[in-house]
Amino acid sequence: MRVTDLMTSQNVLANIESDLNQVTTTTDQLSSGLTISQPSDNPYGASLAMQLTGEMSSFGQYSTNVQDGTSWTDAANTTLSQINDIVGRVRELVVEAANGSESQTDRDSAASEVNELIDEVKQEANTQYDGNYIFSGTATQTAPYSAGSNDTYNGNSGTISRQIAPNTTVPVNVNLSSLLGNGQSSGDGLLLDTLRTVSADLTGGTTANLNQLQTTDLQSIDTNLSSLQQMQAQVGATSDRLTLAASRITAMTTNDQSSLANDEDVDFATASTQFATEQASYQAALKAGASIVQSSLLDFLSTA
Amino acid sequence: MTIPTFTGYDTALRGLQAEQLAIDTTGQNIDNASTPGYSRETVDLTESSPLALQAESSVNSGSVNLGTGVDADTISRIRNQFLDVQYRAQNTTLGNANATVTSLTQAQAAFDEPGTNGISAALTTFYNDYGNLADDPTSTAAGETLVDDAGSLADQFNSLSSQLTAVQTQAGTQLTDLTASNGQLATDANQIAQLNGEINQQLGSGSDPNTLEDQRDSLIDDMSSLGTVSVTDPGNGLLQITFGGNSTPLVDGTTVNWPPPTPTAATGGELGALASLSDTSSAGAISPYLTQLNTVATDLISTVNGITNASSSSTPYTLFSGTSAANIAVTSGVTASTVITGGDNSVALAVSEIPGSTADTPDSTYDALIAQVGSDVKSATSTQTNSQALVNAVENQRESVSGVSIDEEMTNLLSYQQGYQAAARVLNTMSSVISTLIDQVGAAS
Repeated sequence: MRVTDLMTSQNVLANIESDLNQVTTTTDQLSSGLTISQPSDNPYGASLAMQLTGEMSSFGQYSTNVQDGTSWTDAANTTLSQINDIVGRVRELVVEAANGSESQTDRDSAASEVNELIDEVKQEANTQYDGNYIFSGTATQTAPYSAGSNDTYNGNSGTISRQIAPNTTVPVNVNLSSLLGNGQSSGDGLLLDTLRTVSADLTGGTTANLNQLQTTDLQSIDTNLSSLQQMQAQVGATSDRLTLAASRITAMTTNDQSSLANDEDVDFATASTQFATEQASYQAALKAGASIVQSSLLDFLSTA
Repeated sequence: MTIPTFTGYDTALRGLQAEQLAIDTTGQNIDNASTPGYSRETVDLTESSPLALQAESSVNSGSVNLGTGVDADTISRIRNQFLDVQYRAQNTTLGNANATVTSLTQAQAAFDEPGTNGISAALTTFYNDYGNLADDPTSTAAGETLVDDAGSLADQFNSLSSQLTAVQTQAGTQLTDLTASNGQLATDANQIAQLNGEINQQLGSGSDPNTLEDQRDSLIDDMSSLGTVSVTDPGNGLLQITFGGNSTPLVDGTTVNWPPPTPTAATGGELGALASLSDTSSAGAISPYLTQLNTVATDLISTVNGITNASSSSTPYTLFSGTSAANIAVTSGVTASTVITGGDNSVALAVSEIPGSTADTPDSTYDALIAQVGSDVKSATSTQTNSQALVNAVENQRESVSGVSIDEEMTNLLSYQQGYQAAARVLNTMSSVISTLIDQVGAAS
């Protein structure tokens, strides 16, 4: 093949350009740390990277949700233990008064303690977290119980849930009104009703009253205590579920991070080696170009 | 045998003239060593017709042919027409790929993916805002952030849609410019027609239209980047050039059939690419992206509104208005207080549950769109690289045939210079021979 000067210089130029192009690509990758800076670098990889990034961002949100949910269950748990203690104290008072050895004065003071404890229970039920009443169902701006003699529940039975994983939500509130009820006027036999009855029986002081304290009141307290413990177990289970979800989210985030790294991160060892090779070849092309393009037969002919 | 006295002078003169012409042509070649489109020239040397002399020998009673030197008939250019055909075919592909890559790269850049500035990230932020609102459904701050972010998500759809449309429009403008009556195609065609006429004349008068032919070949090369070109040479220099696969030749001798039919994708070359890029029908190169983007936008509108405006919701509202990516917006009047639903977080929770669920069609459609754009750009770029390599290869072959080699020219120059010196020496010798004859024989007394 006949070789001309223009061919040589064009080829040298084309090679230098393509070498420089490769060096630039590798430099970009090394400096950004990413192999995919635009979809065309790796269309499938780019789409995967977007999915993984989106997923990780969702996990971040789930993690926030779990933390928030845990605060709710923690608050509920504390409240329920307090109520448990209060009911325990009422039970003690009832057992003491029921054996008949106490005077009416003693029973009256027990009754006034019970009345205070009822207020305490209602106060506990009005626990707030971050400005929301946690036992009002979805009516989070309404206090579930008002102070005083009115024991009617003011909230609703709505459920408040938190999303903890794709397609998975967990209710973080419990329906406390199913335990506390609507007071004596409703006659629902639930906690507030029972406590009011206890208080009335203590004040009444008749044999029938004392009898009732010993039998139905004590039974009713025990029934309510057991449903309270059931509710505590339910909150505990939710709390466990949230803890489990938190560790799963961490594991999945780590998983996604490593998938994302595999997908779009530069392998520095390989890229650096490649960079060194490309640089050497670029410099060689430059050097060859500089020495070949300069000379022709003209340089070696003596001027006449 | 009688030899005319001054034959030798003529022979030497012809030699001198031929060598001079060769040296001049070498000079022309060296001068144009870097001129684009130049084909090297060579002087076609032939032996001149011999002089038949009657042999006066007893052995040979025939005639003796005495050579009378060299004739420099023509200066021809060295060019391989087949390589031109190959070059133009590849150049058409390259022109097409160049225009496609430029526009598609612009479109790809408009998406700004993968990263934190694209629609994908904005969608995630939007869903997370609903997640935050679900955690704290009475928070004005959460509501405010949500409405703001929903607004910027809608803005991003609007701006991406208009950027893609701008890429289409730009391709259309470029196409109009190139095919205007003063555009590149028309200019090339008119110049070729004019050169056809001049070349035809020169051929008729028996001269060598090398320079004009080089010019015309360059113009046809130039035209081949715009669309497919096929050339028919009837032999008289009046080339017939068919452009873009149309049945009527664009240039027919000295006539230009203007305007040519409107370019389509089948025209090939840059015009074909621009026709396809600016095509707003489903056959266009960019319009499917817009269609897909609109699907993403309408899916988002219907999915989100379906939840926020559900009849079961206590405080229904329509978050997004609009019917496409170009006009999606947060419904006017929707503020933080609209999206705050009191203690009930079921609406916010339902929206925040969209990502990862089967209802998540906006995300998956968008991901598929990005993969589509990415592969289109990738395949166009690889076509560009390949056709560039092929153009370079054919260009190299063409250069190998037609290009000027300084080494070769210098070698030729030396041999022509020596030839000239030798011919001069012959003339000198002849002169001294004749003067001997005149001085010694014919001295007047």
